[in-house]
Amino acid sequence: MGWDGFLLLWCAAWGVAALVGYGMSLAGVTKAQRTVRLAGRIERVREPRHGGSRTGGISVVVSYRDPVTGEQVTVTNDGERGEMITVAWEGREIGVSHPRGRPHAYRFSNVPEQPGRGLGWPTFAVFLVYVGLVVLAAVDRGWPWALIGFGGPWAVYAAVHLPATIRARNDHVARLAAMETVEGSVVAVLKDVSVDQDDGHTWTTITPVVSFTTREGTVVTAHCTEKLPNAAEARGRDVTVHYAPADPAHFTLNRSAEQRSRNQDVTFNVLTIVVLAATAVVGVAFL
Amino acid sequence: MAHHVHNQRMTITAGAPPAQGPRADHALGFVTGGVIGASLTAFVSGCVVGKASLIVGGLVLPAVTGLLFLLVTQPRRAREAAAVPRTALAVIESLEAVEGVASDVPTRFELSVAPDDGPAFRVEVRQSVNRVELTDYRPRGIVVVEYPPDRPWKLRIVRRPTPEWEERAAGARVDSVPGPAMRSESPAGCAGCFLTLLGLLLGVAAVLLLFRADLFDRDEGKGGAAPEPTVSSSTFATSMTSETGTVTLDPGRSMLDEGELRAAVESLTQGADRHGAFTLVAQERLLTVVFAPEGLSGFDPRSLPYDRLPALVEEAGNGAGSRRSWQLTAENVTGSVTLRIVVTGDRGTRTLEADEHGKVLSRSGS
Repeated sequence: MGWDGFLLLWCAAWGVAALVGYGMSLAGVTKAQRTVRLAGRIERVREPRHGGSRTGGISVVVSYRDPVTGEQVTVTNDGERGEMITVAWEGREIGVSHPRGRPHAYRFSNVPEQPGRGLGWPTFAVFLVYVGLVVLAAVDRGWPWALIGFGGPWAVYAAVHLPATIRARNDHVARLAAMETVEGSVVAVLKDVSVDQDDGHTWTTITPVVSFTTREGTVVTAHCTEKLPNAAEARGRDVTVHYAPADPAHFTLNRSAEQRSRNQDVTFNVLTIVVLAATAVVGVAFL
Repeated sequence: MAHHVHNQRMTITAGAPPAQGPRADHALGFVTGGVIGASLTAFVSGCVVGKASLIVGGLVLPAVTGLLFLLVTQPRRAREAAAVPRTALAVIESLEAVEGVASDVPTRFELSVAPDDGPAFRVEVRQSVNRVELTDYRPRGIVVVEYPPDRPWKLRIVRRPTPEWEERAAGARVDSVPGPAMRSESPAGCAGCFLTLLGLLLGVAAVLLLFRADLFDRDEGKGGAAPEPTVSSSTFATSMTSETGTVTLDPGRSMLDEGELRAAVESLTQGADRHGAFTLVAQERLLTVVFAPEGLSGFDPRSLPYDRLPALVEEAGNGAGSRRSWQLTAENVTGSVTLRIVVTGDRGTRTLEADEHGKVLSRSGS
């Protein structure tokens, strides 16, 4: 069997996998469909330990109502528990999910999630079929088909997403403009040191933890991902925090940098479209 | 950890971890080594000789093995995931931290665990603790722990207990449990590494042997420098794996010469306590015998009709033009020994199959 045969086999195998996946989704038996998604509430935020680790996020106590028993369940974010909670305040609503019938395997997400249909893997299988077909075309009919096959559809895909990127930028700009400004302080600095097993090189991550009180009186504790000058010595330092009143999880210490990064997103999206379209055009030219 | 997990029914807590743990690990290491060896060899040699099936085989083999492994272990993983972990209080009997540069400090704890609804037990666990939090743990200190009821040696110290358990731990007193501590399975030692390496070598050997016709034919055709004129018997392994024996003849001699092949086979089989052969491959100046692993029967390599071989090779080569190379493969896949002779001449390749007495069963050629 030559390359053509193997590529066809590849496409057929992933095609079958995709069909099975879509079938499972229709039957309602995918992992996502068997996940119970609930809304939890942060009851208590424990003070971060100066010099501690950022892994595991901010220590919180969360409660949610079990839909089966109707009881109030209290859990903590100990160990591997889904998304890391890096912004916390008492009363914040977060997502709690667990496989059906296994409440002990709960996981957190930063916002309560909508139930999914589990189409991610089947769609990935379709993507692999597409890759196989493009390679097949390139092998059979010449290499320009690889450029057309990859450049064309992705250029269209990126173009379709451009309005969403622009809308996200505009929403973000509006949110930045509506931000309140308060004084906060660095309450702890977290330090993570890992060692490369091979050459003994050490990697150090410094994460300042800021705390600020909103105008409504909510005390927010958050990992600060923005660069602070001399971050390791930042404990006790006062900082100016801008936050979105609707959702204090959106906060920044540097409003203009946020603005720039969103503009860069749009530029990047446009550049991607241009490069991909150019790739496809080069492919057509060489046919 | 959750509030509602501590009032579960009691199953077992006492008893040592099952003994098949390390053995299963060894077997897995051996298979993994074999798959890595075989797939890498197949992929690289496929690229070198430009054979698509070898390249694809090299890629598909690890994927299929991984998939099989997932399917086989699925019931066990599902069972383990469904087990509701139990929360309990424990007292630290002793701890030993191996401090380094990293912020996570590997620490060995010996704990006496006192479940609410079962006998107390002693257990030894290893867990990484953050450097700053290490000061919270000291001998005789009370901690909250969580463990699967059926595998208490997989116990984990809870860093962030719920407020209820935090309060219980603050005012609690836990008695020490005498006696030896349960231990999690020790990491696979030297034997594990050795078996993995062995698997790797056998994987490489298996691919080279199975596809030797494809891989080495071109070299033989060129008649390049002669390999070392030696008779060697290399042993890859002892006890549980198969052995391979190889004999190489000096230049100028041939396995088709009278008595030569039989003498070579005898040199591999005599003396050693070997079980039958799995496969026998002979070429102009090379003989390789793969012996059956212990517990499996093979055929007696001395029983083959070597006297008929020159005639069979001659017959097999009919129509292939002047002979460039030949290969005899003997194996008993179907229960009876079959001989397969492939002759490559300047006008193509011919194949002949014969039974264990040298009687021709079929002929084919391209």
